[in-house]
Amino acid sequence: MSSHLLEEALRYLGAADAPETLRRQVEAEAETLSAGLRPRYVYKVCELDFQGEGIFLRGTAVILTGETARKMLAQCRRAALLACTLGARFDLSLSAMQARDMARAVILDACGSALVEQGCDEAEKELSARFPGQYRTDRFSPGYGDLPLACQGDICAALDAPRRLGLTVTESLLLNPVKSVTAVVGLSDRPQMARIRGCAYCQMREHCALRKGGKHCGN
Amino acid sequence: MGTDLFRDKILILDGAMGTVLQQRGLLPGRMPDLLNLTDPELLASVYREYAEAGSQVVYANTFGANALKLARSGHAVSEVVTAAVSTAKRAVDGKALVALDVGPLGELLEPLGSLTFERAYDLFREMMAAGAAAGADLVAVETMTDLYEAKAALLAAKENTALPVLVTMSFEESGRTFTGCTVASMARTLEGLGADAIGLNCSLGPDQLAPLLRELCENTRLPVAAKPNAGLPDPVDGHYGMGPEDFAAALLPCLEAGVTVFGGCCGTSPAYIRRLKAALDGKRPAPRRCLEGSFVCTPVNPVRLDGVRVIGERVNPTGKKRFQQALLEDDLDYILDVAVQQEEAGADILDVNVGCPGVDEAALLPRVVKKLQSAVSLPLQLDSSNPDALEAALRVYNGKAAVNSVNGKPEVLARVLPIVKKYGASVVGLAMDQDGIPQTAEKRVEIAERILKAALAQGIPREDLWIDCLALTVSAQQEQAEETLKAVRTVRQELGLQTVLGVSNISFGLPNRALITQNFLIQALAAGLTLPIVNPNQREMMDAVAAFRVLSGEDDQCRDYIARFAAVSAVPTGQTAPVLSGVSTLEEAVARGLKADAARLAKALLQTEDGLTLVERRLIPALDSVGEGYERGTVFLPQLLSAAQAAQEVFEAVRASIVEKGGAPVKKGKLIVATVRGDIHDIGKNIVKTVLENYGYEVVDLGRDVPPETVAQAAAAQEASLVGLSALMTTTLPAMEETVRRLRALERPPVVFVGGAVVTPEYAARIGADEYARDARQSVEIARRVLG
Repeated sequence: MSSHLLEEALRYLGAADAPETLRRQVEAEAETLSAGLRPRYVYKVCELDFQGEGIFLRGTAVILTGETARKMLAQCRRAALLACTLGARFDLSLSAMQARDMARAVILDACGSALVEQGCDEAEKELSARFPGQYRTDRFSPGYGDLPLACQGDICAALDAPRRLGLTVTESLLLNPVKSVTAVVGLSDRPQMARIRGCAYCQMREHCALRKGGKHCGN
Repeated sequence: MGTDLFRDKILILDGAMGTVLQQRGLLPGRMPDLLNLTDPELLASVYREYAEAGSQVVYANTFGANALKLARSGHAVSEVVTAAVSTAKRAVDGKALVALDVGPLGELLEPLGSLTFERAYDLFREMMAAGAAAGADLVAVETMTDLYEAKAALLAAKENTALPVLVTMSFEESGRTFTGCTVASMARTLEGLGADAIGLNCSLGPDQLAPLLRELCENTRLPVAAKPNAGLPDPVDGHYGMGPEDFAAALLPCLEAGVTVFGGCCGTSPAYIRRLKAALDGKRPAPRRCLEGSFVCTPVNPVRLDGVRVIGERVNPTGKKRFQQALLEDDLDYILDVAVQQEEAGADILDVNVGCPGVDEAALLPRVVKKLQSAVSLPLQLDSSNPDALEAALRVYNGKAAVNSVNGKPEVLARVLPIVKKYGASVVGLAMDQDGIPQTAEKRVEIAERILKAALAQGIPREDLWIDCLALTVSAQQEQAEETLKAVRTVRQELGLQTVLGVSNISFGLPNRALITQNFLIQALAAGLTLPIVNPNQREMMDAVAAFRVLSGEDDQCRDYIARFAAVSAVPTGQTAPVLSGVSTLEEAVARGLKADAARLAKALLQTEDGLTLVERRLIPALDSVGEGYERGTVFLPQLLSAAQAAQEVFEAVRASIVEKGGAPVKKGKLIVATVRGDIHDIGKNIVKTVLENYGYEVVDLGRDVPPETVAQAAAAQEASLVGLSALMTTTLPAMEETVRRLRALERPPVVFVGGAVVTPEYAARIGADEYARDARQSVEIARRVLG
């Protein structure tokens, strides 16, 4: 298990400066989790087509509308669609844990959030290796900025995510299983500036009410 | 017909539809099912090519033609299904059979999602009825990753059509589906439910699927199907890499493993089927060998009964006032807690009995089953004398269950055995009949034989009948202990059946009951008892079982035994509680989240202090000081919850002492909590609930994804003066607003507080909520103001 995972999990808990006993608890939970469960991901690289109503991803039904996508992908000719999930088994163990020990459950929940982000990082690393010489934008997700949550379903369908990951989108546009991320990563010939990199790098991280509740705004 | 279609021969199915359509221009992500209406000729050409290539069965293009997926298309299920099946029949023109293809509904079922089992069944029923009416020759349920969903589809097919049903599921290389279902659980459950053939499709190529298919063949007597992908897809462009030649060659080892039904999934095409047909030409089905033996399971936990398996007896209200109270108050969390404790104590199967005066068992038992399977992975033994309750519970059970019980009375056998058969359960037969419990072992064995005959006649396999030779109270009928043991020995050795015994009965009315029970347990195990029903929280019983498993050779190299006693060797003899840390005040135990200490100290204090005083003077101040630390940022959420859980132990002790003394329960006031419609993230709401409960409030938890009208109805019915709502996403805020509106419209509107990730104080005010709770700690303040 990477120490990065532990630090991220602590951040999700709003407990970056946790006392040693709590740190050890989180570490143990993160270790068990990452030993038993690997995030699964799929991605697909598409050519971009900039049109008036949005950015079309060729060969799919996905259209990215709004200023966020336009700004993020301004210098890209291609982008990867990405989906990553811990799967339904994480949800099952989280509900089992909630029935046993709520304190451990919130720790497990935070570790899950950290682990699925780590899965996205791995996918991006793999993507980089596949496209040497290309620069990646930060990954951004439906719901971020003005990118509508409504494109969640098209992204999942384009990736065949229900079949390949067991990932579904509910009527209210939530991803299920809950520890899941869909995202877009632009690929460019030019270096890209880091615009967003999740809670760990967010200015709000010490005060954010979401994080106090064990949640975050990224997925 | 199912038998004729699949048995004793090789059958060739078709290949992919979706990826073939994509090669012909369909965008990934567009609904292929609508092509049935817009471009039937395109589909007809694919069906025809498959039939010409050698497919004896083609799947109609109905994979996603369910009402959920078609909802926004403006087309009805029957319209799409009828078009698909009739196009296929016309295209193949009698040269192949046409299967109604039934894929996953596209939303996760409970407990993972909020789609109920009953709703899933209805959605499938609609497809099945339309498919049968349109003239489909069989039903092919495929690509399932949730055994529960596969069960709903299979039941819908069996109950609404007379067609043979093939069910295939998708596994990862680890041997589990995305939801954790094992191959053995799948096989035993679906065979029990009456599938005509089962198999694996999609997700992997033939190479990776081969070992899983072998395992599947070992776990079923049914014909087995393989419909793999053309290898694994390239991550960048999604292209499947394996060619027709390699694909066909890689499937041959599956034939040797026992597979007789072949086809292809994603990435395959008519060319693959042609090659496959050539490769299988002249080949014969390989001999099959199914692992015999008794079996029960949940999806994630297959339990083979090839040794002693402990059935936990604690989910049962008999003689337990606290449990009865929980049943009458509909406190399913308490029941879950009792189940969880037994799982942790090492039970293998849980007996579930909720029969109690004032309880509608037929309504409650299925709800308890759903509750338990949301958080406990052990197989359940459904214990009721009410056949309606048994059927309702078996229907919603996910896996292969056991039923407790039938007896030798002809009317009981006639009523219950068909239900057991229909749902593929195991069943306990009590060695008694209309004349009561026979006094001799011989007579009991006779009844067992009668029950066996009736079960076999019903089509229930021998291994699914477990006989209970009945342990009677030794202080009342001393000679009966020997008779019971004799009967166990005969049933096990001569009839070769599994044996069940409610061991604890033996010691009623005697001092040091545990000693008698343990001794009888050991003797019964030696006589051939395989399924003792005991209290697994009683260490003496589990120790005896652990020792027996060593002596019988079941515990290979004494591994489990050594592990068990390595873990407890630190505990002084005679002490069963976990090691205590030695804190001396209740307040400190709560603050540090030490559950065992908190419970111990509370029990001690309750000798001299009444419950209410203890709660008000000690517990609440202790919780408050932890809560203040949380607000200051010196205590973190897990620590706040640990303290809350320690407080729960104290409350449990207080409740038990009050129930004991027959007093009214301490309740500080009732509130309702719910996560609003559309929202499936409920850990935040659960945190609030945990903390509030441990301040002594009675929290009615309506769960997640709760429709506004349900919240309003519950608030009116429960006369709640406080309701808490949580929402996580911007997309579910409108549902929160509507819920608040409905609550406001009640005759006596409750105080409403709201919270959750995207909720702000401004938003709370705007939608008319009375209070905004930033976190669990603030919800306590609100509850105090409103409920006192």
